Amino acid sequence: MSEQGFLSIRGLTKRYAAFTAVEDLDLDVPRGELVAFLGPSGCGKTTSLRMIAGLVPATSGRIVVDGKDLTEVPTHRRDMGLVFQSYALFPHMSIARNVAFGLEMRKVPKDEIARRVKEAIALVHLTGKEEHRPTQLSGGQQQRVALARALVVRPSILLLDEPLSNLDAKLRDEMRNEIREIQQRLGITAIFVTHDQGEALTMCDKVVVMNQGRLEQLGTPVDLYERPRTAFVASFVGRTNRLASVAKDGSVEIAGQRIAAPAGLSGPVEVMIRPHRIAFAPAGEGVPGTIAKAVFAGDILQYDVEVAGQILSVELATRGGETVLSPGTAVGLSWRPQDVFVYGAAA
Amino acid sequence: MSAGAAIALPAPAPRERGRGVAPIVALLAPIALINAVGFLAPVLNLARMSFYEVEPTGAMREVYTLATWAKVFSDGYYAGLIFDSITVSLGITLLTLLCSYPIALYLHRSSGTWRTILLVLVISPLLTSAVVRTYGWIAILAENGLVNNALATLGLAKLKLMFNATGVTIGLTEILMPYMILALLAGFGRLDPRVEEAAATLGAPPFTIFRRIILPLTLPGIALGCLLCFVLAVSSFITPKLLGGGRVFLLATEIYDEAIVTLNWPLAATLSILVLIIFGGALMLYSRALRAIL
Repeated sequence: MSEQGFLSIRGLTKRYAAFTAVEDLDLDVPRGELVAFLGPSGCGKTTSLRMIAGLVPATSGRIVVDGKDLTEVPTHRRDMGLVFQSYALFPHMSIARNVAFGLEMRKVPKDEIARRVKEAIALVHLTGKEEHRPTQLSGGQQQRVALARALVVRPSILLLDEPLSNLDAKLRDEMRNEIREIQQRLGITAIFVTHDQGEALTMCDKVVVMNQGRLEQLGTPVDLYERPRTAFVASFVGRTNRLASVAKDGSVEIAGQRIAAPAGLSGPVEVMIRPHRIAFAPAGEGVPGTIAKAVFAGDILQYDVEVAGQILSVELATRGGETVLSPGTAVGLSWRPQDVFVYGAAA
Repeated sequence: MSAGAAIALPAPAPRERGRGVAPIVALLAPIALINAVGFLAPVLNLARMSFYEVEPTGAMREVYTLATWAKVFSDGYYAGLIFDSITVSLGITLLTLLCSYPIALYLHRSSGTWRTILLVLVISPLLTSAVVRTYGWIAILAENGLVNNALATLGLAKLKLMFNATGVTIGLTEILMPYMILALLAGFGRLDPRVEEAAATLGAPPFTIFRRIILPLTLPGIALGCLLCFVLAVSSFITPKLLGGGRVFLLATEIYDEAIVTLNWPLAATLSILVLIIFGGALMLYSRALRAIL
């Protein structure tokens, strides 16, 4: 408890009759940071967000924002902005009325409402659409309105629940940059729920990886990618080769090579190496393997290499002038020890 | 091959639009015919009958006269009848709405097996005829019925719950509730729990969410339900007849009396056409309301 964040969560738990959606979540988010909740569907990330917003009562645990305990405070007095995956705009109100709603609830004077609504709509590049109805706008535009509606009240925390999932790929990239840019410009603390590791890595200051209701790892995108703490994080963030092996006497054998096992690990283990961290060794050196499949994808060359009965995926950045090796070619593989992750295999 | 198919795919849409008229006419013809023979012709016949002359014996002569219409418009009794019918029906509609709205809202939010069970419960009264249900209400509301016996046991004064507008209102409200609930549900399509949650996160307390979000979004359902129940209330006959006990005079019961008891068919026809005009007015109000809402 030494460092308490702007948003501080302690032991947050949500239990339903049959299962536990979120278990004992501890988290501190410093002011002005964008933190992603990343995980597969059903991992508890959305439930956590909804508990922070007060839409779902927590079974136990505390939620503190800026030193104020909000655990028992109803949603409408939490002062948070929430952007939904389905936009959730008020269909019977114009864009301007949608954006003005939160300010009207706060009893802001009329002329100030008008000014701030105008600013917020300009912020999301929708000037001129004030009198449109939500259904007259495209999905991306509707999500921008939702963003403006949440931001205009200057919430203590901006919560984003898969805000890009209903948009097509091109719009998604655009909105991704836009949300990040606005978040940084306003210096607002934000939580971004996503199942897309690309969104989490590229947009956010920190990422919380969740699995089965538990926090697997909290770290910067670089931490997660380079130092995944669990097998789940290693396989969920970025692509990776997974090999089964056994740890014995402090070392693990992979493809005929012995590497040091993490302290205290013995028995069956999972070994992971990212495809693009594997290189071809000079002739006659490295771990011997045979090309099983070769795919030229323009920027990269993808090989499936059979090594000691297991298939390793290898990716090489192309620089021009490479020969694509045909299946059956014998090759040697090499990798740096620090690129190999070893985890105890799940029982 | 597949490329050819892919290119051919978008073509049918404009072609179908072009040849549309003939199949539509063919598909609409049967219902148009049934309606023409079974509805339009009798109504026109009724309209014509309302201008026939009638003798005190009830015999109609095919001589056209404005006498019946003049009588309906000049005799205060009929003006009162129309006014009572409309106000009682509006009261019933409002009461039905108030009783049904929370149920419909709850149904809209429920899901799975529970929703199915609730829906069956809502619809099941429709499996029993209105006559039987009205007799049920008589057992409850009569002078020695359930309510009054209970009051008497408690030493309280008996209430006059039957043979007056109160009885008719209570009975019709219950009878019309399934229709109202179903109509409300049909009109609740735009109500999304996420939208309510969005309002809450923006600082709206529960009652404000109801006033600013839920109520406006359910107005189409409210309009539809009110139209349906008003029309059904104005045209209802059995329940006012039995629970009104001949002491509540409404258009539908009066039409019955004129047609069956007094045998003044032109008057019955005139009042029937008046009911139709009231329906037309209600429909107009409904479409105006919808345009204002959407």
